[in-house]
Amino acid sequence: MTAEALYRDVVLDHYRRPRNRGTLARCTHAADGVNPLCGDSLRIEVDCTDGRIARMGFSGEACAITTATASMLSELAVGRDADEIAALDAPFRRLLAGEIDVADSLGPLNALAELRRHPSRRKCAELPWATLRAALGGEARTTTESP
Amino acid sequence: MSAQPKDAAAPLDVGRVREDFPLLARTVHGKPLIYFDNANTSQKPRQVIEAVDDFYRRHNANVARAVHTLGDEATTAYEGTRDKLARFINANSRDEIVFTSGTTQAINLVAYSYLLPRLEAGDEIVVTTMEHHANIVPWQILAERTGATIRVAPINEKGELIVEKYIELLTPRVKLAGVVHVSNVLGTVNPVAELARAAKKRGIPLLVDGSQALPHFPIDVRALGCDFYAVTGHKMYGPTGTGALWARRELLREMPPFFGGGEMIREVRFDGTTFADPPHRFEAGTPNIAGFVGLGAAIDYVESLGRERIVAWEHELLAYATAKLKAVPGLRIFGEAERKAAVISFLVEGAHAHDLATLLDHEGIAVRSGHHCAHPLMQFYGVPATVRASFAFYNTREEIDRFVEALGRVRTMLG
Repeated sequence: MTAEALYRDVVLDHYRRPRNRGTLARCTHAADGVNPLCGDSLRIEVDCTDGRIARMGFSGEACAITTATASMLSELAVGRDADEIAALDAPFRRLLAGEIDVADSLGPLNALAELRRHPSRRKCAELPWATLRAALGGEARTTTESP
Repeated sequence: MSAQPKDAAAPLDVGRVREDFPLLARTVHGKPLIYFDNANTSQKPRQVIEAVDDFYRRHNANVARAVHTLGDEATTAYEGTRDKLARFINANSRDEIVFTSGTTQAINLVAYSYLLPRLEAGDEIVVTTMEHHANIVPWQILAERTGATIRVAPINEKGELIVEKYIELLTPRVKLAGVVHVSNVLGTVNPVAELARAAKKRGIPLLVDGSQALPHFPIDVRALGCDFYAVTGHKMYGPTGTGALWARRELLREMPPFFGGGEMIREVRFDGTTFADPPHRFEAGTPNIAGFVGLGAAIDYVESLGRERIVAWEHELLAYATAKLKAVPGLRIFGEAERKAAVISFLVEGAHAHDLATLLDHEGIAVRSGHHCAHPLMQFYGVPATVRASFAFYNTREEIDRFVEALGRVRTMLG
């Protein structure tokens, strides 16, 4: 296990140059998520009409893993149906848990598979998912400790 | 027994001391371990590990119950630690030492047994911005139940308590004042004796969270003049699940039991039970006997090294690490108090605390990252988390050199 396996180039690239970082001028759904283990917080705003995600923006101060996950997730989500993204939640969790090695549907997010060997950092990758899920589900707030 | 020479003036022989700590010989990610998470929990010398092992192999029995030989041996060893700890912190007597699972339980004992029966709506409890959650949350729970209020004494940018503000808060409404002796995040050593004098003058009991102080320098509860002093064993080279509340005898005598059960009674009848005297009144159930035997060994070990030698070496490590870290571009240290224990919290520009800690771990270096159970302090500095390197007497300058080099590599990677 090397540091490079976790902080892969694609992860570092999304951390250094996050896509869709910022707030949206117009949004239909929004939520604030907190990871109580480290205190990181993330805000996700979504412009989603008729179940289709037209835009997504994220903001907040967070670690490389959270930032890169949010960035990759945003690229995956924009232009897709909210239901489609919700369906990716389960394979992403299984990827982090090491139950599967790869899921084609997750695209570049597969780069986070090494988190299976860093259980203390898994919540960092779960935060953007939990926050997006909350936003689309109409909850204003969530934490990585919520069921 | 100890690796330390008899000559009292000789400095600590760190190389030999390290040989007492088996865990320090291991590698992490293929690199020699550098353990800088001592404020979280310290490593244990073989003297402690062997004392626990020997207890289970040769003496294991329950305490204060059995009349057989093993029961006597177990009770003698367990109660022996009470004597050692009483001497170690200069208590008036051994019955002022209540064994607990740690500092958190000790503080909760004061909360429920001492304070709750006295607390009314409108009363106040004073603490500081730099408290660990263990010295905040128990008071908040009581405040919510009773309608009392928590008042918070502020700190300055250097991470020092503003003493006059603390003293200003000590009004007749205050039923208890609390203060952390050494901040687990900043390393700040608070002027406990001065606060105790001010509190005493106003008839307010002072509780000190001594969790981070006990491992670093000699504690004299009588000289400090406080009323309650809470400590934990596992940060001072002892087993986890050991700790104690020291309180003046007259305070303990006034306090009703917190837990009910075995060992804490004198006579039990269904029409009324009489309780044992302190400290056993507060020690219901079978305690962590082997753990306290280990804590006794930890006290012996620390005394064999010499407390002044430990203070001197840790001071040197702190000064050396501070100077080296200050030379790292973009690095900010949190906590630059005049009086400081060997704890350094920091952040590096452009790098998150968790990423730094994960990448340092890959270099074999264990540091803590996060909020360190001190949210209000993080809010004061406006950061979600910091990295903390905390030293023990078995750490070396070479380890600090490797740590600072590794930080350089890690910064490049995240930059």
